[in-house]
Amino acid sequence: MEKKKSFIGRLMDTKGAGSVLTAFIGLIIIYIAFGILNPKVFSVKNIQNLLRSMSKYLLIGIGQSFVMITGNIDLSIGSVVGMSAMISATLMTRGMNPILAILITIVCGLVVGVVNGFLVGKFKLPPFIATLGTMFVARGVGYIVNGNRNTDNIASGIGKEAGDRFQDIFYYGKFLGVFNTFWIALIIFIIFFFLLSRTRTGRHIYAIGSNVDAARLSGVDVVMTTTKAYLVSAFCSVVVGFVLAAQSGMGNMDAGNMYEMYGVAAGVIGGVSPLGGSGILLGTFAGAGVWQTLENGLNMIHAQVGFQRIVIGVIVVASVLLDVVVRNSNRSFKKKK
Amino acid sequence: MGEVIVSMEHITKEFPGVKALDDVHFELRSGEVMALLGENGAGKSTLMKILSGVYTLDAGTLSIFGKQYGSLTPNSAREAGVAIIHQELNMCRHLTVCENMFLGREMRSGFMLNNREMENIAKKYLDELGVDINPRQVVGDLPVSKQQMIEIAKALSINARILIMDEPTSALTSREIEELFQIIRRLKSQGCGIVYISHRLEELSHIADRVTIMRDGQYITDGNFTDFTMDEIIANMVGREIKEKFPRVQCPKGKKVFEIRNLNAGRLVRDINFSLYEGEIVGFAGLMGAGRTETTRAIFGVDPKESGEIYLDGKEITIRNPMDAIRQGVVLAPEDRKKDGLCTKLSIRQNIALPNLDVIAGKSGVINRKVEDELCDKAVQELSIKTPNLEVDAATLSGGNQQKVVVAKWLARNSRVVIFDEPTRGIDVGAKVEIYHLMNQLKKQGIAVMFVSSEMPEVMGIADRIIVMCDGRITGELMSEEATQNEILRMATSFENKMSASGGAQ
Repeated sequence: MEKKKSFIGRLMDTKGAGSVLTAFIGLIIIYIAFGILNPKVFSVKNIQNLLRSMSKYLLIGIGQSFVMITGNIDLSIGSVVGMSAMISATLMTRGMNPILAILITIVCGLVVGVVNGFLVGKFKLPPFIATLGTMFVARGVGYIVNGNRNTDNIASGIGKEAGDRFQDIFYYGKFLGVFNTFWIALIIFIIFFFLLSRTRTGRHIYAIGSNVDAARLSGVDVVMTTTKAYLVSAFCSVVVGFVLAAQSGMGNMDAGNMYEMYGVAAGVIGGVSPLGGSGILLGTFAGAGVWQTLENGLNMIHAQVGFQRIVIGVIVVASVLLDVVVRNSNRSFKKKK
Repeated sequence: MGEVIVSMEHITKEFPGVKALDDVHFELRSGEVMALLGENGAGKSTLMKILSGVYTLDAGTLSIFGKQYGSLTPNSAREAGVAIIHQELNMCRHLTVCENMFLGREMRSGFMLNNREMENIAKKYLDELGVDINPRQVVGDLPVSKQQMIEIAKALSINARILIMDEPTSALTSREIEELFQIIRRLKSQGCGIVYISHRLEELSHIADRVTIMRDGQYITDGNFTDFTMDEIIANMVGREIKEKFPRVQCPKGKKVFEIRNLNAGRLVRDINFSLYEGEIVGFAGLMGAGRTETTRAIFGVDPKESGEIYLDGKEITIRNPMDAIRQGVVLAPEDRKKDGLCTKLSIRQNIALPNLDVIAGKSGVINRKVEDELCDKAVQELSIKTPNLEVDAATLSGGNQQKVVVAKWLARNSRVVIFDEPTRGIDVGAKVEIYHLMNQLKKQGIAVMFVSSEMPEVMGIADRIIVMCDGRITGELMSEEATQNEILRMATSFENKMSASGGAQ
């Protein structure tokens, strides 16, 4: 075996590395372009902010990417984010120990993941419908937990010290000059990157996304695997809920609105196919980066919010269109041969 | 006998790698039922697809009602009066009878659909056929036999004079068949020409006027049905004996490995009993739709079983899903590699590793790259899969190599029973022989091999024992040295007699 390859070499061999590379190059170009328009983009402070705000999209993107690679979609993500923010904040305003509140919230979120997984994997509901249902239910639960009101400041229940610590851990604190939010997202990213690329579960996720019949005939437990993907999605959403609760210091009923679509966008820009079976998480990383750099850059040059949305919409479609065009031209080339 | 309405001469059609039709001659006259006969893959469907404009011909001449056509499109074929009644009926199940009949040529008054007019016309044609169907009924609610009548009515409503029926009776009961035959006779008397494709040779005496026999893409003979005996027809369909291109190894038959008792699963798996022994390959022969694939799927736990027992090495085992089967050492290389065998978007590495991840990943669930590399390299070498490396998508390989990947998936395990379902379909001769060698190797290792194939020479050349299925039942079993193709074909067509003896006297 002479072909000992470095980690990078091996990575470049894997499928989808091309679109990841494209996304990273795009990321750099966008960043430099905005930096030229406004040099403040290059400031340490802006980089810190950029990494922190990117973390939310990265986490959402990881969850949605897992589900998209199985060939499904999770519309409940945004609602689970909101539910998580509301449940954790409500529990803390009632004076519950933050760690216990976090654990309870995680369990609640995972229940949504299990329900999604069973509806889609076992009962074969179209994922669009199944997760549309859980989307409404989760949002409803988020409304009900605190009696249809946003919560008070969490410090009111657990005291200023504990409240500050919660906010520091998830949002305001720094470690090695970078906001904790980014470290949390990075650790979760590394864990799930490993899970997807190096474990049996990861392989099964690709297999059912590529060809569910062949996977079943190869002994893959389709229900379990689908459920695991939705669990990852739910877990990531719950963590984003904590981040949002920490950011505002309270629970907001409409937190996380539309986040599921941001997750789709981050994945798709990074080359994750919404049809399943292909894509790698590094792409999602790049996708979240592209998006946040765009948003950040457009903010720095004082573009209107409406304009930002338009740019992001165009980028999402363009990145997939590019992929389709490239693939089609490859195919017709092969046919000619 | 009417005038010649379809004349096809020197028809040649090539697909990449195969000559599907070679200098074929075919003729249809008005007012007759022409039975088009041949084994699976003889080229009947290809020929009819050329007549109905689905395929274009590479060489030859084609004339319909005396008019020459260089090439047909589905539309121009329809205008020329050709209609095909498919084996799997092509209808929108959620739409009504009338909507289906007028699909793509809806009548309008102004911008609005003229439903009343369409319903009247639909009713008129249905009445003409003598069938009582309300045009407003939803097609999916009707039995298959009625759906077929609607297809025929639709064909008539677009003025079709040449009707191609592909296995029209396969899903019908004896009464429905009788109704269908009456309609066919009525169409005949109106001067339509009917091409009738069926594997049920015993039906032909009730309906066929003439026959055309094809084999391996070539025209063999044609003539009046009454001029042939059934044995002559079978001999012409089957042709010469070929046994040499199949490598065979002899090994002593060992102990019983696998036994199926009273397996039932749906209409096409009825009361199946058989055993597999060490050191032998058991071939499963039969026509398409005989229930062989369904049997393999039921055994492997893909489709649910109604009843039945499975014994492995003398012990009863339960298989509820493919995972159970794989764990016990029973594996299946499925028939349709694109649909069931491969994840085409994934790499060869991932495909080969997929069913073996329990070995590769161990308890921790983390994939051991080294073990995976070794396993995949070994599989690729042993089967000489031609690929630049392990990372290319399975979809980019040729058919033969894709099939080898499907097989390779299962060889890394210590299995006791390997089921191959049509492992050589659509692959070239060289790759076929490699698959045969592989089966022989398994046989030598004492692994029980179940080998489903629709190609009769292959079954006879490779299998030691042949089990023949027809219509969901096992209709015969013979040792391959004493088997003849005629004998197998007779078993494969021994349908439960759906026609009463008196029915269909002309």
